[in-house]
Amino acid sequence: MAHLKIHREDPSKSTLLKETRSLGGDGVDVTLIRWMLSKTPAERLKILQQNVRSILRLRRAKNKA
Amino acid sequence: MPRTKPDFLNILRTLAEYKIDFIVVGGICAVLHGAPISTFDLDVVHSRNPENIERLAGALKKLNAHYRESHIAELKPGVSHLAAPGHQLLMTHFGPLDLLGTIGKGHDYKELMGDTEELQITRNFKVRVLNLRTLIKMKEETGREQDKAVLPLLRRTLKEKSKH
Repeated sequence: MAHLKIHREDPSKSTLLKETRSLGGDGVDVTLIRWMLSKTPAERLKILQQNVRSILRLRRAKNKA
Repeated sequence: MPRTKPDFLNILRTLAEYKIDFIVVGGICAVLHGAPISTFDLDVVHSRNPENIERLAGALKKLNAHYRESHIAELKPGVSHLAAPGHQLLMTHFGPLDLLGTIGKGHDYKELMGDTEELQITRNFKVRVLNLRTLIKMKEETGREQDKAVLPLLRRTLKEKSKH
């Protein structure tokens, strides 16, 4: 037996593959789009409102620091 | 940056309560279609027919709407402002509201109506939004850097939506 090549999945390669598959050729993260599409319009609006409030809170905290 | 906690749902609910004819455009339209973006104001194109403008004036009073620009902050939008094709950039109880007479290359409510769809928001009300394809077209027409920046994400959202 000359060589036995044992093919093992390199965990870092598979993570990288998963990440590049979730980015289209345009660099857009489709996982977030698919997550939003799984929500109703009302839920999407609530998510936006929560995000905006978080951003405003962060900015105020940063300004106080 | 406004200090008011944004509550876009309540702005939309108030406009629906007053039976305003309007089309949601801009960032919130994109979000309602499923695009994962952030925006700090609600943009709508309103019908400028006289009856709608009267009803809109009532809704804006309920919302305590006034101009955001500091030098005219005490000024409230009147009927003549609402009838104009320009943009009225307002602050309300529930956050920023932009009333746009026209968008893109001068498209008004009447012209845009054919490119809209209704979305159920709660059991009690629906809103009319620009369809995503036309929203993309408007952003391409405007050509502003902030619009160009979001186009890849909107196009991808449209592609993903079409798979459903």
